Amino acid sequence: MSVVEPRVVADGVSKWFGPLVAVSDVSFDVGPGVTALLGPNGAGKSTMFRMLVGLARPSKGSVRVLGLDPRADTGVTRLIGLVPQQESVFEPLTAHEFVTLTATLHGLPDPGAAATRALETVDLDPADKRRLPAYSKGMRQRAKVAQAIVHDPSVLVLDEPLTGLDPRQRADLVGLFRRLGSEGRCVIVSSHVLDEVERLGSHVLVMSQGRLAAAGDFRELRALMDDRPMRVRVRTDRPRQLAGALLEAGTAVGARLDGDDLLELDTTDARALAHALAPVARDRHARLFEVLPLDADLEGVFRYVVQR
Amino acid sequence: MKARSALSTERTSGGGLGEPGGSPSSNPQVIAATRPSALSSVVAFYRLLLRTQVTIPRLLGIGALGALSLLLGVFARLDDNSPQAATDAISSYGLAVLVPLATLWLGTSAVGDLVEDRLLVYLWLKPVSRWQLPAAAILATVSVALPLAALPLVLSAVIAGAGDVAWATLLAAPLATLAYAGLFVAAGLWFRRAVWWGLAFVLIWENAVAYTAEGTSRVTVVGWASSVLARAPGVDVQLQAGSAAAALVVLPAVAIAAWLIATWRYRRADID
Repeated sequence: MSVVEPRVVADGVSKWFGPLVAVSDVSFDVGPGVTALLGPNGAGKSTMFRMLVGLARPSKGSVRVLGLDPRADTGVTRLIGLVPQQESVFEPLTAHEFVTLTATLHGLPDPGAAATRALETVDLDPADKRRLPAYSKGMRQRAKVAQAIVHDPSVLVLDEPLTGLDPRQRADLVGLFRRLGSEGRCVIVSSHVLDEVERLGSHVLVMSQGRLAAAGDFRELRALMDDRPMRVRVRTDRPRQLAGALLEAGTAVGARLDGDDLLELDTTDARALAHALAPVARDRHARLFEVLPLDADLEGVFRYVVQR
Repeated sequence: MKARSALSTERTSGGGLGEPGGSPSSNPQVIAATRPSALSSVVAFYRLLLRTQVTIPRLLGIGALGALSLLLGVFARLDDNSPQAATDAISSYGLAVLVPLATLWLGTSAVGDLVEDRLLVYLWLKPVSRWQLPAAAILATVSVALPLAALPLVLSAVIAGAGDVAWATLLAAPLATLAYAGLFVAAGLWFRRAVWWGLAFVLIWENAVAYTAEGTSRVTVVGWASSVLARAPGVDVQLQAGSAAAALVVLPAVAIAAWLIATWRYRRADID
């Protein structure tokens, strides 16, 4: 009995809704392990995920999961686990009933026992009689993860699965996703939080404005981001002296004064500037009241990556 | 739009953390072997939809409409020609208002609520045939509507002392319930805010249009359901689309056609 490697392939996939192009000509091929789909809100990640699992039909291009069309072949859904982004849940159901329903619809021989195992895996009590709306956001999120893994899928698609979780729960689920990936499953996780992605895995796909902006190793992306020009605002009682010293040292490549106490610095090495700022201020007898990176938000990062 | 050379937009192999091969369930032969039986998945859908459909406001609302038909039965009993009065009440209120409104409320919400709440994703992404969910939704709608809407109509005829009309209603009301359930489940899959479309359909098509011109009742559910009432001897049914025998074919056919349309829609729709 031959075994097919879990792979998800998108080939020139586009999706438009009337005049709105949500995804434009995206191609990638991901295999076993954890792959992070990174992008700001509205980048097209969720639409891409919906096409990957067959929920939406690409307007152009094709998607293959283990060589099959998830839209046309309902059988391939047996191999897919999905955590959708939406927070809504079946209000009359308990977590155990919710996961048992999934196990039943996947044809598992003992749906109740499978549901119990899946809930225990995500650290939820299978005997909890509360209905899902009574759960906290984090607990509902874990119940959604449990229903995605109850049938032991070889492809897991997780749309912002860490939303609403506390740090310990995040760490636990990140560990679970990494383990599932290391066991040979294809795990694709979307996130708009860079630090989350860093912990999830080394391989990333970056989407921005519906396009695949970059793909590769996260460390390379991180280095690229660290190397990009940045603006830093400094509030100090001696802006002129501080600017002169930093420009002279080469840690800043540009400086603008704003009023008596504000200084805006341009740097190509944010890390070096961070290290140099305090010693230089001390040497110049300048007091630092505020140091604020002006374009460190995710949108700025993606803009930079896309524009390169 | 460019990507950095080191981070190519060309196809790249992702992950690589695990051993190739994946889990045993990635074998296509296993895919086929692990589909649930149609019975078990339809039952699972049916039970879920019953639980999501049956809410206190719905039960009270439909129950109140059903109770009104019992009151009409009492009034019909006081009439000199109680079988005819019962027939008029069942035709003009029961089959034209009570049954369609009850099935509208239940049928459009069966799948429609899942669409509105974006929960359909949990049911669509399963290795089951697409016909099963609409079928389960129609069954669930009929299961709730029969005791709350069809049964009170039969009881109203019994209260009126019109035994023959009660027997005819026992056939007409469930058939109308089935046909309306099919139509409104399909509407729930087809339209956003299907309940308003359905309300317009009931008020305009099933009531105004059905009575306006000769022959228009033949394209209404209420017309065919009323035809079954005409089986009762000694009563005159104002709205008749055809023979009772034809109604026994037409009304289930409407339900089946609506179910096929719902299945087609469910198969083709993008799921949110």
